[in-house]
Amino acid sequence: MLARSTRNTFIAAPGRPYICQTCLRRARRSQLGPAHPPTRTAIRSLQTKSQPPPQDDTPFRKLLKDAAKQQKKYNGGASSVLKTQNKGQDPRLEKWELTIGIEVHAELNTARKLFSSAATSVSEAPNTHVALFDTAFPGSQPNFQKESLIPALRAAIAFQCQIQRKSSFDRKHYFYQDQPSGYQITQYYEPFATDGKLTLYPHDFPPGAAPESGPFDIGIKQIQMEQDTAKTIQQPPSTHLLDFNRVSHPLIEIITLPQIHDPVVAAVVVRKIQTILKSINACTAGMELGGLRADINVSVRERNGQQSDAVHSYHGVTGLGQRTEIKNLASVKAVEDAIVAERDRQIEILENGGVIEGETRGWTLGSKSTKRLRGKEGEIDYRYMPDPDIPPVIIGQDLVDHLKETLPKLPDRNVETLVLEYGLTTKDALTLLFLDDGERLDYFIQVMEPLVEETSLQEEEDIPKSTLGKMAGNWVLMELGSLLKDEPWDANRVPYKFLASIISHVRRKQITSRSGKRILAMKFEGDERPVEDIVDQESLHLRPLSREEYVALAQSLLDEKPNMVKDIIEKGQSKKIKWFVGQMMARGAAGSVEADTAEETLKEQLRLKE
Amino acid sequence: MSLSKHAKSYLINQSKYAHLNAFVSRVEPSVLLARTGSSRLTSEGEDGRLVLNDKPIAIKDNICTKDFKTTASSGILRDFTSPYDATVVKLLQDAGAVVAGKTNMDEFGMGSHSTHSYHGPVKMQRYEDEEASAGGSSGGSALAVASAQCWAALGTDTGGSVRLPAAYTGVVGFKPSYGLLSRWGVIAYANSLDTVGILGTSATSVEAIFDQLNLYDPQDPTSLPPSTRSRLGSKARASDSVRIGIPLDYNITTLHPIVRNAWVRTLKALHERGHTLHPVRLPATQRALSAYYVLAPAEASSNLAKYDGVRYGSRAEGIDGTPDSVLFAKTRGQGFGPEVQRRILLGAFSLSAQAIDNYFIQAQKVRRLVQQDFNKVFATQNPLLDETTHAEETEEKVDVLLCPTAPSLAPSLSDVKAQDPIQAYMNDVFTVPASLAGLPAISVPVPIAGKDRTKENEEFSVGIQIIGQYGDDKLVLDFAKELEVAAPCPHAGIKIDTAEEVSRRS
Repeated sequence: MLARSTRNTFIAAPGRPYICQTCLRRARRSQLGPAHPPTRTAIRSLQTKSQPPPQDDTPFRKLLKDAAKQQKKYNGGASSVLKTQNKGQDPRLEKWELTIGIEVHAELNTARKLFSSAATSVSEAPNTHVALFDTAFPGSQPNFQKESLIPALRAAIAFQCQIQRKSSFDRKHYFYQDQPSGYQITQYYEPFATDGKLTLYPHDFPPGAAPESGPFDIGIKQIQMEQDTAKTIQQPPSTHLLDFNRVSHPLIEIITLPQIHDPVVAAVVVRKIQTILKSINACTAGMELGGLRADINVSVRERNGQQSDAVHSYHGVTGLGQRTEIKNLASVKAVEDAIVAERDRQIEILENGGVIEGETRGWTLGSKSTKRLRGKEGEIDYRYMPDPDIPPVIIGQDLVDHLKETLPKLPDRNVETLVLEYGLTTKDALTLLFLDDGERLDYFIQVMEPLVEETSLQEEEDIPKSTLGKMAGNWVLMELGSLLKDEPWDANRVPYKFLASIISHVRRKQITSRSGKRILAMKFEGDERPVEDIVDQESLHLRPLSREEYVALAQSLLDEKPNMVKDIIEKGQSKKIKWFVGQMMARGAAGSVEADTAEETLKEQLRLKE
Repeated sequence: MSLSKHAKSYLINQSKYAHLNAFVSRVEPSVLLARTGSSRLTSEGEDGRLVLNDKPIAIKDNICTKDFKTTASSGILRDFTSPYDATVVKLLQDAGAVVAGKTNMDEFGMGSHSTHSYHGPVKMQRYEDEEASAGGSSGGSALAVASAQCWAALGTDTGGSVRLPAAYTGVVGFKPSYGLLSRWGVIAYANSLDTVGILGTSATSVEAIFDQLNLYDPQDPTSLPPSTRSRLGSKARASDSVRIGIPLDYNITTLHPIVRNAWVRTLKALHERGHTLHPVRLPATQRALSAYYVLAPAEASSNLAKYDGVRYGSRAEGIDGTPDSVLFAKTRGQGFGPEVQRRILLGAFSLSAQAIDNYFIQAQKVRRLVQQDFNKVFATQNPLLDETTHAEETEEKVDVLLCPTAPSLAPSLSDVKAQDPIQAYMNDVFTVPASLAGLPAISVPVPIAGKDRTKENEEFSVGIQIIGQYGDDKLVLDFAKELEVAAPCPHAGIKIDTAEEVSRRS
């Protein structure tokens, strides 16, 4: 399901002009936009075979595959992060404090490149969207595309930055074949946004992993705009093909202050940045698709401050240890693992009386340690120079105000609404936000409308919205979700009114929940009849069994499985009651056995009721 | 005289002076002749006739053309043909001009004698066996005009590259205000200084071309937008008498006496025609050359990083690069000449983390001081500044500055060869300040003063430079015409047959 929506993003992205009506509608619609990638959906998206087929043999593709494999393991349980943290707690961490700063690079969702009117694209034929300037042809000049400011400013607003009235572009020099002009145009001396923050809430963390009970902030030093590079496609043994479609795609780089002291927090920061960028429609694709990359700076210092090396200062944060930089991490998992590995490596060195070298290191997924890429002496001097061709960017307050007013609702606000008003668990709320680019959430809200309307018509106002929300959430996520399996999401497959009608029938005990699921499956497979007709024609009306009938059915089943009864009574394996409930529902005539009553009857027969 | 006769004379000179190495590629003679033949039928006698109708104009080889290779006289672009025409080339063609060919130059514009060229040096020959510098870096363009191989030429001027060769070869060379002429399609040397310039035999012909090119180009982000253009040079001057500033700081000890005397004689002649003379100080001038040779190489090191032979241009033979290095170290090492490599290294150094504060940043400050120097002496306020930044009226203000273009006459190529790079850079000492400030400046040939005249040099000339306030391009051109009247130079150019003479004979 994720795969399809991803493809849609790809298809829709190039042709989508920035402020077109479709765009605005889209932006409004995704108000209750996507949020955290709940682990469950991540598994699905990465396992699915309907991923766009790899079009080349880039190492990055391979990286994605590795990431997928790793992700599968990683997602064995939602709280594996927590588990590994607690299990492998290194006593040395009592002594050493870790400090992390993160730089996130995200591809902006724009119609055109940063300095040419060539269209942006993701999976188009190589070298089909390239202007003269993009390939650094002699005599060509940059032409700043003002529209790229819009998603960049949205991001700056979402991260509560101060928008600079005047900002400018600089050249960062280094030689590489994917960098046609020999420099990247970025904002080094005067970035367009500074001094922001990212607020983390307990619900951003895996259950139990939040380091603090309340919300806390991570400072954002600055956000700058810059160009992306070309894509190198390696054809072993020695051919490098270059695709310049990506060159000069607008990026933002978000730089946090070194205020993070926990690998889990770092991972959550990266994930949350990704979520926010998506929900405000600033960013093209998720991290696993190359739309987002992170560099991290890692240092450790002694907690009691004895260490004489802790004299470094980064972005105004003083008293830190010598840091190393780990470049180009392409997944949240990689960020966390790389930090843990680098932290342990640095502590190991310091414990043995060594000194940390300021160097750039790399990390490949699945490895146990970071790898040295280049040391300080091999450090590139980027020779930053103000670009003499590009005039400064002046941003008017009126534009900032307008974007503030029209900014889509941030995920934190949505989670709050779903939990408090609609009675969902935080986990389900986050899942809804994330699924299908927010479309599932739209569907959920639509399903809720007739349900709420019905309670008021039927004068059942005493039924709280949260009760309806819980039911609807369960049907939209679980029941419909299990039918979808690997199929792409399609809101028309089961129209929202149809599902609302099923839920209503179940709630008013006109049919059993089991029958409801059956009707849902029929509709899903293409049954054209309305709910009422199916209920009538398939004789699904709840025809309650008499109490005697329940008892007789229960007892006959219990008699058949004495061993299980023993387990329940003697070993307290009360979960096995559920099996008997299922059997009762299966054996009773269609739609005649209600789960609640069945379970109650069974417990009575087993004398488990107090 | 008919147009086709003109065309023929240019063609005759092109083959006659091929050994001067002014051109690196030439238009097919049949194209030039066909053009003049056909358009005569359609345009003659019509009012709608194009301004530059069928005029053959040479284009410096760092300006992109679809019909000719654009090599910038560099080995790395030796086989490069641009997929598009520069805006200035398009505008010339729209005005009816014919591109006469591409002219030789110092590689990427880096040089003062047009000797640092993949195509070999440009050689000026005014008498038998002479081999003199035509100046640089637009030496090919200047010499092509001086030897009547074309009607006029485009060059580029970063620190004097149009004015210096104009002075050496005895033609008019104009560098307009920065931002007036489009740089789209002009291969960058130092973007913040690069200006398209015009070379011609008179201020009138130069102005005719300037008028065609002086347009806003949205493709060039440094092109002055129409709103700013409308503010330029709009102030009407009270009288015909022009207030001429004599920058005392330009009277340096190394100024050649012949140049100094020609300067003085020109000032006298202008004074006699009713203009007033005013000594002015431009103290930052002494630092200007140093600042220029920090800033220009810094930008050059950045601009030339793109030449790697990956997407276009030439690559070194065999395998380039090792697993530890990028794929084009060898290509760049072989493709760039020694002067270009020197300036790339200079620039890379002055931008490096250890040096940027002491070099690049300091040089930018000097550049600002040079601009302030000029703003202090000009009566017209710099239209790019706010009212408040204008200095108080404490001293006498001037309309234009008048000074030599170069400290000496054209040196011989053997002398040039013997110079070290710093000496070569010294040639730009009078042209660099106007470049740093983005001001309009023109070099006009004047005769050598009577007392200095010898049999050898009697037909040589000295280049005199007129510098105006930003946007005062029309005033500078008008005053150049006045200078042509005050100090007529009948022998402007080298002693060769002019187009008229050739056609008179034929």
